[in-house]
Amino acid sequence: MTTADKTSGNGHSGHPFYPDHLLVEGIVAVIVLLAILLVSQVWQVPLEEMASPSDTSYVPRPEWYFLFYFQLLKYFHGPLIVVGTFVLPLLLFAALVLLPFLDRKPARGVLQRPRSLTAGVLAIAAMILLTVVAYQEDDSMKLPPVTDQQVAAGKDIFYRFCILCHKMDGQGGFMAPDLTHIGSRSGRTYMERVIINPKIVSPSSIMSIVPLSDAERHEVSAYLSRKK
Amino acid sequence: MGRIYAFLDDRLNLEPLVRAIADHPVPDHANPLKTPKALMYCFGGIAFMLILLQIVTGMFLMLYYVPSPDHAYASVTYIQDEVMFGSLVRAVHRVGASAAIVMVFLHMMRVYFTGAYKKPRELNWIAGIFLLVIVIGFGFSGYLLPWDQKAYWATTVGINLVATVPLVGDFLANVLRGGSEVGALTLVRFFVIHVMFLPALLLVFLAAHFFMIRRQGISQPL
Ligand code: HEC
Ligand code: HEM
Repeated sequence: MTTADKTSGNGHSGHPFYPDHLLVEGIVAVIVLLAILLVSQVWQVPLEEMASPSDTSYVPRPEWYFLFYFQLLKYFHGPLIVVGTFVLPLLLFAALVLLPFLDRKPARGVLQRPRSLTAGVLAIAAMILLTVVAYQEDDSMKLPPVTDQQVAAGKDIFYRFCILCHKMDGQGGFMAPDLTHIGSRSGRTYMERVIINPKIVSPSSIMSIVPLSDAERHEVSAYLSRKK
Repeated sequence: MGRIYAFLDDRLNLEPLVRAIADHPVPDHANPLKTPKALMYCFGGIAFMLILLQIVTGMFLMLYYVPSPDHAYASVTYIQDEVMFGSLVRAVHRVGASAAIVMVFLHMMRVYFTGAYKKPRELNWIAGIFLLVIVIGFGFSGYLLPWDQKAYWATTVGINLVATVPLVGDFLANVLRGGSEVGALTLVRFFVIHVMFLPALLLVFLAAHFFMIRRQGISQPL
């Protein structure tokens, strides 16, 4: 008990773990659970086409929480990649493990520990920044740049397959959203994903999957991205 | 309730056990009802709750999931489209995974910025780092299981990165893949890592973590 007495807040003040504290934790837990259920209802979990080991053109993306790391790796070219895949992770791991032994002053408040504060804030800022950059590059990376030819071809395809449901410049169907200004609302990646799998818009989507080739899909999204 | 407890206590002498687990005061500075700031002391508990959620939803997914290249994708489609509540359970498992990562990270930030890793809690901080690595391992190994394009190619890239580690990289990559390419063996390996190896490790480190918290109490207010 000696360790606890000196450094822990477990004293005479406070409330019992059971049932008081467990109840509080329970309430917070239920709120988090409900939030998760809600997101799970609204968001359609992605499932792409079945793996095809021969299709080497596919550009994969990691789960969002690995994005910052993948972005970081992009800055290490050629043989330098070991810095990103080995040296940095090892240093980070060592620094974390050794932290309590390196930083032995008893002061605990962040304001009394300016160096720890700076390091922590910088690390978090870097992770956020790298993630944002990764998303931005994602939006432009996979897709070929928009050319006028593509836009013209995309327009043809749109008027052949999509106009039945969607309204465009005042004409077309009324079952689906007006796409006249879609380019100012959504990015190209999003449009491509909707065309591949309309269910990402809503699980009950009635939009039909129009079987377009990759090139045709890029053309349509190029066309739509110009519709600002 | 009381009578059932009395019955069991009479025969099994539960009193000391229950006291050891549940009968300790929690300081006011960790009580969100007293100070909203104390919510940050809930992150660890929420992370634990989310891990339980992942275990339960994962068990239900396992009822249908088949870890073979020929059937994995079809079994996930089946869970998604045919099984009652299947798509919901899959979604909760996926969303819960992200939430768990976020919570573990927030918890770690709480410990870092309140200096709670200092003496005498050094060892618990280290146990925590291992927990972090394990949780990330869950994320990486689970990503392959649906066996769709993204799963396959993201894992291929991930393992290729492992291969760049000096000296042992190629060896590690081959162990993970079970060969020179991502295939049937890789899928089985990732599946077993995801549902057996990592959970076992997780439970060991969680037990150590909770034992140390109980012994040392929550760190004092700043
Ligand atoms: C069978 C009718 C139908 C056809 C054909 C169709 N769509 Fe749709 N589309 C919809 C509906 C309905 C929605 C609204 C989302 C939903 O389903 O709830 C939608 C949504 C969209 C969205 C998202 C709009 C937004 O504001 O987020 C885009 C982009 C889109 N469609 C593009 C296309 C393209 C490109 C084509 C042709 C290749 C196409 N659609 C063909 C019915 C259709
Ligand atoms: C699976 C993930 C984890 C779970 C379920 C978990 C759970 C918990 C719980 C319930 C507490 C009690 C106080 C609180 O909730 O804030 C705690 C305390 C603590 N955790 Fe974790 N934890 C996890 C990961 C980590 C990580 C990644 C670290 C740091 C690297 C860490 C370091 C600590 C330390 C040092 C304490 C004591 C803090 C104090 O006394 O103020 N834990 N943990």
